[in-house]
Amino acid sequence: MKLLVVEDDATTGPYIARGLREEGQSVDLVTNGRDALIQATSGHYDVMIVDRMVPEIDGLTLVKTLRGAGNQTPVLFLTSLGSVEDRIGGLNAGGDDYLVKPFAFGELSARVAALARRPQAMQEETVLEAGALRMDLVRRTVRRLIPDGEAEITLVPREFALLEHLMRRKGRVQTRTMLLEAVWDISFDPMTNVVETHISRLRAKIDKPFGTDTIQTVRGAGYRIDV
Amino acid sequence: MRPRLAPLVNSTPFRLALPLVALFSVASLLGLAAAFAVTQRSFEQTVRADLNQDMAGFRAAPSAGALSQLVEAEARDTDPGRMILSYIAPNRRHYGNALIARTAEGYHMVSPSAEAPQIAGRYLALTASLRGGQLTVARSLAEIDALRDVFQRILLLSLVPAILLSLSVGLYLAQRSAARVGRIAETLEDLTGGNLEARVSPASSWPADLAQIGAKVDAMASAQDASVTALRQVSSDIAHDLKTPIQRVAVHLDDLTRAPSLRPKDRALVDTARAELDGIVSVFHSLLQITQIETGSPRARFAPVDLGTLAETFCELYEPTAAERGQTLRLIPPATSPVIEGDRGLLGQLLANLIENALRHTPDGAEVTVSLETTEGQALLAVADTGPGIPEAEHALVLRRLYRMERSRTTPGNGLGLSLVASVASVHDAELRLMPNAPGSDQEGLRVEVTFPLPHRSEASSARPAPDGNAALIGAGWSASAR
Repeated sequence: MKLLVVEDDATTGPYIARGLREEGQSVDLVTNGRDALIQATSGHYDVMIVDRMVPEIDGLTLVKTLRGAGNQTPVLFLTSLGSVEDRIGGLNAGGDDYLVKPFAFGELSARVAALARRPQAMQEETVLEAGALRMDLVRRTVRRLIPDGEAEITLVPREFALLEHLMRRKGRVQTRTMLLEAVWDISFDPMTNVVETHISRLRAKIDKPFGTDTIQTVRGAGYRIDV
Repeated sequence: MRPRLAPLVNSTPFRLALPLVALFSVASLLGLAAAFAVTQRSFEQTVRADLNQDMAGFRAAPSAGALSQLVEAEARDTDPGRMILSYIAPNRRHYGNALIARTAEGYHMVSPSAEAPQIAGRYLALTASLRGGQLTVARSLAEIDALRDVFQRILLLSLVPAILLSLSVGLYLAQRSAARVGRIAETLEDLTGGNLEARVSPASSWPADLAQIGAKVDAMASAQDASVTALRQVSSDIAHDLKTPIQRVAVHLDDLTRAPSLRPKDRALVDTARAELDGIVSVFHSLLQITQIETGSPRARFAPVDLGTLAETFCELYEPTAAERGQTLRLIPPATSPVIEGDRGLLGQLLANLIENALRHTPDGAEVTVSLETTEGQALLAVADTGPGIPEAEHALVLRRLYRMERSRTTPGNGLGLSLVASVASVHDAELRLMPNAPGSDQEGLRVEVTFPLPHRSEASSARPAPDGNAALIGAGWSASAR
């Protein structure tokens, strides 16, 4: 993946770039809006990470300008604010996602990965698979293949939605806030670790009885179902 | 839309019109009365002059006999309705067309019935002793009486319509000005509600005084808008200036954990520092958010929010957390789910904070109940627990920013939960009340009630039946976990 990072802070910018490079991405780092505009129009990027407050041309104007010129590269805004107005303003300007500082690198990385895949239309699968786990989206059933047949697993609707979300994004880390947004439609981070409790309930049903490890915890980031 | 009459009658233009109408009526009445008096006087003087002339004619008669004949002759040609002639001769015989007997001479009024029942109306009479007898000449005042009727009609036909007309005009003006005053009031209400873009924009047709008030309100709104924008700029600057270094600290800590030579003891230290940093971020974020709610204009984003669905979502979200400590989180769903005008994100945070607060400050095994009731024009959301509660004296204090009760210093939380709840409630015009859940018992518990006003709509659209199937399903999940 080719990424453009627009961040003027001398510590945060290189940190993001280094982290993403360690993950095997190709990263260009620019520290002001004007350079960003030149880079974005000359190179093809998969995702742009744009701080809202950068010198010369601010992030919002930069993205508006790019969108006006027909550039559809997914944009992840970085912001210090995080108010609802701020978020709406960013999304209205053409941003695709929003991350409030200070953020953990895992969160940034997971969101960039999600953005890069976004353009692909979600395949209309009716059965999702992960190892021996089978999820029938039409009949709303979950089964695990065991040596002597199949075990039926009963999930409440929200557990089903949570598992479906993870199964549809196999191999990609989903952070707590991403899960809250997608499964519960909640865009703020509650102080209690509510997502952990739901994940552990889900694990207690789909993994624990079978000694499996379908849902994995990614330290400092979130959860993932491996391919 | 027809404005109601009572507020119009009480309005400034009508109140100004009323004394003017009264003054005009009194002046008209006085004018008419004076005109009538003057006319009546001059008419009476004419009658007196006529009577004197008549009398002079009779005085010319040389004897009582001649006078009697003259009176008789005149009386034959005279209509008693217009003029009465009466002569009582020295021999007590009466001549004339009616009998009027008088003891005194001079002018006097003659009314019908008493002395001369055959006549009608009032008469002015002149009596004189003539040729040994008594002659009375009386002329009818019917014309004056007719004049009074004329004046009364003038009064009715001019004054009453004039008063009615001016009152109607007063009401019309009041209504027009009420529309303008209404616009000013609406603008002020919008401004109070946080919509700082509201303006009166008085049209050029407005009267100068109202236009001036309108322009002043607009100027005030612009100034307020500018200062709020400046305040937002300041808070966003502070946010940026502080959050960037916080981000850097996070980066440095992250780099530190990657160092391969880090001893386990130091690693624990780094983790502690990270946790502290998270605490700082959480306080900072909450403070910033409260400021943004209070200075921003969240009302501009208000949309219908189904409180029942929202409460369901959050109870379901926190239920496993509660179960981990053997606590029970229950939702008592309403018969009909209230739909209020609000910001779903903020209301969700209100619920999350109330539930987190209840779970955090109650012991293992405690019960937390979320209930929702729709009463007339209001939706009551309550979160009640069976914990130790909060002493009544501290109820107001816990809503303050960063206030933490002595005994909760050791529990997690940043002391901003309830103040955020208070500012979210306030921006929704909701009333927030704290009370003991079970007054009198040793574990009084805390019950937090938030009363939202329901939008003024028909019952059907402000509430919808609770999704029974779904609620039952979730309910079953809870009761299983509660045991």
